[in-house]
Amino acid sequence: MAAFPTHEMLLPELWPFLELRGTVHTVSTEGIRHLARKFSLPEREVMAELLLQNIWPVRFSRSMGCVTAEQLARLLRCRVLIAGCGGLGGHVAEMLARMGAGSLILCDPDAFDESNLNRQHFCTEKTLGLPKAEVCRNALLDIASYMDIEARTVMLDENNLPELLARADVVIDCLDSVARKKMLEDAAWKASVPCVHGSVSRSEGLAVFDTTHPRPFSQLYPNETEEDAVPMNTGVLTVVGTACLMVALLMRQLRGRRGNGQLLHFDLSIPELERLSLTGPEPEGNA
Amino acid sequence: MSIQIKLSTTLRDCVPGYVPETGLLFEPEDGPSVLTAGELARRIGLPLEEIKIVMVNCRQSDLNSPVNNGDTVAYFPAVGGG
Repeated sequence: MAAFPTHEMLLPELWPFLELRGTVHTVSTEGIRHLARKFSLPEREVMAELLLQNIWPVRFSRSMGCVTAEQLARLLRCRVLIAGCGGLGGHVAEMLARMGAGSLILCDPDAFDESNLNRQHFCTEKTLGLPKAEVCRNALLDIASYMDIEARTVMLDENNLPELLARADVVIDCLDSVARKKMLEDAAWKASVPCVHGSVSRSEGLAVFDTTHPRPFSQLYPNETEEDAVPMNTGVLTVVGTACLMVALLMRQLRGRRGNGQLLHFDLSIPELERLSLTGPEPEGNA
Repeated sequence: MSIQIKLSTTLRDCVPGYVPETGLLFEPEDGPSVLTAGELARRIGLPLEEIKIVMVNCRQSDLNSPVNNGDTVAYFPAVGGG
């Protein structure tokens, strides 16, 4: 494989596909595909290389100012495991696809049901009865065909999580019960994979991502078990808002910012966003 | 002085007429004595078994934590939907 060219060599090569926006060159998908063929690289890797030379794919040109080129290159090279493709998971997946995630593993054992229509991003009358992970994968590829997306119609448990976590750089917890969230954060902690947490009920959401508090649900709910799980009602505004906070916390980590033990609590009935401090006893084994 | 109380999600159903914007104001009848968060919850009629998280002045606490005049206490049930 030939070495990826430098900025000076790229500009003539990409000339038919370039546009100058302000002081920054942008390149169309056609140009990215041209380089991907020439250098036998995945398109997402070509985009990451270009971004590191401050040449922006047109599809991300309007993200300038929201993310840095380095942050976006890291996201393109990142593999994110999304645990649950329902309310939070569907919106998180869509946001990540638009923001520039390169690789996802989507896991959900369920199919879309009529009761999901009020809040789940990829649930439509046409997708009722279809597996959530598969529907989500196909819809994301319509947004970003360069993504590497694996859809797994499985219930995550202690047995299958180690293999999936071993291939993930980060996991996003979109599961739907406190006990299952505790199981996931425990597996992620054992695998040393950072976990972004979120949960919703009615008009309120919680989000936390702090590698110094790797098991916040165990800290918040030390005694909660699977038997305590009850279905929680919520709507599209709550899941979208909470999904935004979760993805924002992930992007903050990609900028190298550390968490500080703060739990974001979001209440749309007022509406307000407050920061709460986790100060409970650390679960056994936490550093 | 009084204690500001905030209720989350399903705990609001336990206090008819609860207004999220203002929460509840609790005036201790027996002067500025120190209560626990659990005692305060019992006095306003919350089922203690449904309270999973207690925050006193935005810091994680528990039902045994002391609550003083001027504090803000927030009670949460399990919030675990996804």
